[in-house]
Amino acid sequence: MATLSIDLFGKTLRNPVMNGSGTLGYGREIEPLWSIDTLGAYVTKGLSLKPHHGNPPPRVWEEGRGMLNSIGLQNVGLERFFAEHFPLFKERNTPIVINFFGFTDEEYIECAASIEPDPLIIALEINLSCPNVTKGGICMGKEAQGVFSIIKRVKEITLIPVIAKLTPEVADIVEIARAAVSAGADGITLINTMPGAAIDFRTLVRGNLSSEHGEREGEAPTGFPVEGATRAPVMDMQTKRMAFRGGLSGPPLKPIALKAVADVSRAVTVPVIGAGGIMNHEDAIQFLMAGARAIQVGTATFVDPFAIPKILAGLATYMDEHGLSRLSTLVGAAYA
Amino acid sequence: MHDIEGVIRENRHICQDFYRCRIELAAPVGKVVPGQFIMLKVPSAEVFLRRPFSIYDYGKQTVTILYKAVGTGTRALTSAGRKERVMVLGPLGHGFQLYRGYTPVLVAGGIGIAGLHLLWKQVRRKACFLYGCSTEQEVSLLEETTQRMTREEPRVCTLDGSTGFCGNVVQLLENSLPLVGQKPYVYACGPQPMLASLKALLAEKRIPCQVLVEERMACGLGLCFGCVKKTLDEAEPYKRVCVEGPVFDLWQLSL
Repeated sequence: MATLSIDLFGKTLRNPVMNGSGTLGYGREIEPLWSIDTLGAYVTKGLSLKPHHGNPPPRVWEEGRGMLNSIGLQNVGLERFFAEHFPLFKERNTPIVINFFGFTDEEYIECAASIEPDPLIIALEINLSCPNVTKGGICMGKEAQGVFSIIKRVKEITLIPVIAKLTPEVADIVEIARAAVSAGADGITLINTMPGAAIDFRTLVRGNLSSEHGEREGEAPTGFPVEGATRAPVMDMQTKRMAFRGGLSGPPLKPIALKAVADVSRAVTVPVIGAGGIMNHEDAIQFLMAGARAIQVGTATFVDPFAIPKILAGLATYMDEHGLSRLSTLVGAAYA
Repeated sequence: MHDIEGVIRENRHICQDFYRCRIELAAPVGKVVPGQFIMLKVPSAEVFLRRPFSIYDYGKQTVTILYKAVGTGTRALTSAGRKERVMVLGPLGHGFQLYRGYTPVLVAGGIGIAGLHLLWKQVRRKACFLYGCSTEQEVSLLEETTQRMTREEPRVCTLDGSTGFCGNVVQLLENSLPLVGQKPYVYACGPQPMLASLKALLAEKRIPCQVLVEERMACGLGLCFGCVKKTLDEAEPYKRVCVEGPVFDLWQLSL
């Protein structure tokens, strides 16, 4: 029988499948369904130095065959993660990737400095899609120079391998990836979600645009006083918005991600981890063939919480059927 | 927990936009606590994510949901026919907790009745049920719920006064409180403004209350942190409806 094991950053992982950051809670939430050691490696929720509250609801929005999310990086902070959640991975002997973020260069450095090396921590994955508050809120990962300087400083301060997770919302993702690698990145994760918007047009028409019925309907649906009812009766009470913005994930992202993986994996020598709309083992194989050394599955788990075990079973069957003994023979096969 | 295949045995229009769907499962689910929910894969190519539904009833390996067609998912569900296959994950979340020595008072607003029916079945001999809706037509939802199972008359109100008390269900509760018996404990489900009014009323009288809330949800398992409600916990204000809820103590919520 074929082995799914892969070598990554000098460690052997039992398989190439990870979860996308923030799509498998703190790990323990999936355990009533399947054991966390099913994964090649677990990728943490995006962690920060201090706990982060995240955004008010609504945070998720279905759009076509995909979804938008605007969780706002809610997390318990690095300290509580290591105290409360890391022991589970020790117990299960499951390798983990620590995904982290900051809002200034210094926060990234402090995060990286605070993480002690551990045999189970195979890498730090830097989320470079955050707004930099010291640079007018510009997304960290959009400028090659900014990416270079953060990665370089993080590399100087940690002994743990560093992965740069890149946003697709750039003119040339190869240029950004090259900057990350020349700063010392040990791997590249492609891609993060793509910023998008959705408009709740039904609510908008019922509530805001129809002046004839607007006022009456503002009271009628519930019979309870609603603040600002005459103007916007059915809008979300907390955000006061009916237009939603967030990161697009799921199948609409797949062709964009696949191209990024194909382009970047041929331009750099470090391992590329593919992510974006992987729903089944057939998608996974395409990412490997495009040049990904490992893959991350995110949104698929929301649609089917058993997507990851099913992908693993599908990969094993595919390799057996095609007489492949090593997964690495698939990597980059489409462009060989 | 397993993802269980089910077959739709009934998907009936009740009134207005309200439907009842009965799903026979290939295997039994675990013990169901009133207030818990399922994540249902709606059998339509137009619906991507699963949808959360309160468990309206469960027995003999059959789960029933009562739903209102409002968005893409629920509207697609209305056209699901008998014998169609669906996937069901559940029971999920924390349900209602009962305490000795209190008289349960169930307060449902509109489709909120879907989340209280199972609790009502459990406590009806000693409980009181208040139901509020917009018009007379919606009262058939209540009849759907209470027929064949109670001799007690639930108290009903409509906003237009076409049936029962004229007003909203929190006003009805205020009027009914002197009659409900010793030490009332309120269990409520309804729209957000109803919960805010409820809080104002009950705070005054120091009456305990648990509420079942809803939010847009992606995974239903606590994986994505997408379905949060704001609470008064300053250290960690946003709690997941799917894991820490969907039932919350009213006094913990920031409404």
